[in-house]
Amino acid sequence: MSEIEIGRLLRSSTTGFVVGCKVNQLNAPSFGAMVRVPLEAQYQVYGVIYDIHIEDDGLVRQLITAQDVPEEVLKDNRENRNVPVEIGVLALGYEHGRRIFHLLPPRPPLSLDAIFLCSPGEVASFTGEGRFGYFRHILGDQDKPIEELLAAHLRQARGAQVDAGNEAWYQQAVGELITLMRDDYQGLIKILSAVSEI
Amino acid sequence: MFNSQLDMNGSDMSEQRASSLEESQKSIGYIVGGGLKANLQARLTVPAQRVQEGAFVVVESGNWLFYGLVTDMQLGSTDPRFADEQTETRLPPQLAKLLHGQTLYTNLEVMAALMMEQGPDIDEDPEAYQAWFQKVMEEQIRPEPVKTVPQHHAEVRLAHAGDIAEIFGKEGEKAFFRIGDTIEGGHPVCVNLDKLVQRSSGIFGATGTGKSFLTRVILAGLIKRDKTAVLIFDMHNEYGPDDTASDTGMRVPGLKGKFPSKVRMVGLGRGATIRGKTPDYTLEIAESDIKPEDVMMLAQELNLRETTPTTLEALRASFHEAWFHEFKQMRTNTYNFDEDGKRVPAPDSVEAWANGAGVHPGAAEALHSKLRRLFNAPYIVEQPAANALQQMIDNLDNGQHVVLSFGKHETDLDYLFVSNLLTRRIRDVWEHRTNNFRSGHQGATEPRPLVIVVEEAHKLLNREMASQTTFSTIAREMRKYYVTLLIIDQRPSQIYDEVMSQLGTRITGWLGDSDDIQSVLTGLASRDALRGMLAHLQPKEEVLMLGWGVPMPIVVHSRRYDDTFWDELLEKKDRRSNSDILKDIGF
Repeated sequence: MSEIEIGRLLRSSTTGFVVGCKVNQLNAPSFGAMVRVPLEAQYQVYGVIYDIHIEDDGLVRQLITAQDVPEEVLKDNRENRNVPVEIGVLALGYEHGRRIFHLLPPRPPLSLDAIFLCSPGEVASFTGEGRFGYFRHILGDQDKPIEELLAAHLRQARGAQVDAGNEAWYQQAVGELITLMRDDYQGLIKILSAVSEI
Repeated sequence: MFNSQLDMNGSDMSEQRASSLEESQKSIGYIVGGGLKANLQARLTVPAQRVQEGAFVVVESGNWLFYGLVTDMQLGSTDPRFADEQTETRLPPQLAKLLHGQTLYTNLEVMAALMMEQGPDIDEDPEAYQAWFQKVMEEQIRPEPVKTVPQHHAEVRLAHAGDIAEIFGKEGEKAFFRIGDTIEGGHPVCVNLDKLVQRSSGIFGATGTGKSFLTRVILAGLIKRDKTAVLIFDMHNEYGPDDTASDTGMRVPGLKGKFPSKVRMVGLGRGATIRGKTPDYTLEIAESDIKPEDVMMLAQELNLRETTPTTLEALRASFHEAWFHEFKQMRTNTYNFDEDGKRVPAPDSVEAWANGAGVHPGAAEALHSKLRRLFNAPYIVEQPAANALQQMIDNLDNGQHVVLSFGKHETDLDYLFVSNLLTRRIRDVWEHRTNNFRSGHQGATEPRPLVIVVEEAHKLLNREMASQTTFSTIAREMRKYYVTLLIIDQRPSQIYDEVMSQLGTRITGWLGDSDDIQSVLTGLASRDALRGMLAHLQPKEEVLMLGWGVPMPIVVHSRRYDDTFWDELLEKKDRRSNSDILKDIGF
């Protein structure tokens, strides 16, 4: 089980949550990576990172406009910010009693719950469960850059599946995407052209 | 194929057979729509090239098997844009393949013809299986016309040899005779010879499509089967004697050579020879056998006038049976002078008879001159040397078959006149016997069924002639008098519709003309679906069998008429050709 903590929960809802993290934790998470939030024994929520957001604060504004700021001050202000880096996570499913469900979690995580990055083994077991039911949550959210998100997710998940010995997973996943999207020509072609760049 | 099998050892052959069975068991698609009126639609799940129009497919739905033919194939897409855009140029090959696999497809149109209840699994319920098997053996469960539809997503597969045998019969059993093989899989397709001859049937196809070879195959089958007598009007002297194929130059064995004691060759006219050979006997026609109707039938050929029937009637009234002889003897344009020196027609002249009989002399003279072609026919004599006609009837009665070769008398006139006259006489004999048999006369036996083979049938059965010839009567009355026709023609559209619609079995090769295609399908329920299939037949050796004599229409790669055919038919299976033996020794 991966113990790479990437931050703590800022706010959440059933469909997703936002994680706040320190700058020195930021080298671990990436767009399209899968995360998990252990909530209680044998219950944890899974999600995928769809957004990494860095807000400005008053001090940063002043520093940008100030003259001749020493290098140490800049470094100090980059690393020790008042405002955390915000990571948007889309809920994909949950694990309960060692069973994985591609359904929205029964209840969302609470503030300050620790969020961990999924290990390749966890990615493989979550994405390999069932028949890609979690694609529903990604495709259903038209406000998000779903083409890019899918391409980034498929690239990472393919690596994890190949390591787990499931070479056919990627083809099955693309096949499922085509099945789900074949009534939406424009949408499907956008997804496929993003996926084709993997 | 045969040679390559010879080279294999036994285990290879059984492996090959097992793998071909496995291949045919595989599903090629599933049902997505259709109905009883429209054909069934099936989504193809294998590359389209693996299935062809006319393929025999089986749909497995629950406890039922549906047998049908592929009549059309259509390209489809879930969205027209997937078909319009060449996405393979934009996407990597693997992705494009995945995309096309899901969005582009081929639909099969399947014309379901028969259905049959399938037995339970022998392993699951042996008792129920035995009960079902017993019913099949007792023919309580048989393929029946389609009265329901398979379920959605029912699996479609290509038929295997067992399915074909279930529907068309197994070669060697009862009257089943292999006429060819299916296009896909090459499984044997049989025709029930006994059923084939119960109604008149036709073999059609444009020139060079292998009509006459197929006819030879069927005739050989009928002669071997030995249940019916066959009378062949061999206009071009090709069925009796050995022949040479016009396209390949190969020797083509004749029926006489293969069945020397069963086939009698009859020549037309005294001293006739057929391809340099003397026939078994010759046929001459007695003048007294000719009836006015026989002449009327030649109206078009002899360009007879409207007055002819009156003149003929008067001739018969004057001379009765001898009318032809008497008329032939009359002279024309001969005059005598009477006591007053007045010119009068000579007593033995046409004009003198016409005046006496109250017929217009001009009409009578015109008829006399037009009948000159018949008067001059060497095979029409006053007193035939032997009663060849009776001999033919006796032959046909005794289980022999008669090939009447026209020898050098190959004109349409000879063919029309002789074939019609003989057929009329023979049919009268059969009708008489049938009536005796039916009314229970003492000693009357059931007549032996007779098949009359007519080439260039449109000459005898066209619109104008059909009402006058005996052939159309035979075609219409089916098997009532134990006589049926096997007509062979290249222009079925020229044959009278009413005759065409009476034909039981139709076997047709490629036809170029759409009128011909239309008329072959006259009177069939599924003609729209079959039209395309018929138009797309290979020009050689592919035939569509349809009609009453076969359980359902099917495209067949017809059996080759060669040494192998004869070896199989005459069961000389161990005989091998010299070239095979040499190959085995290593030359």
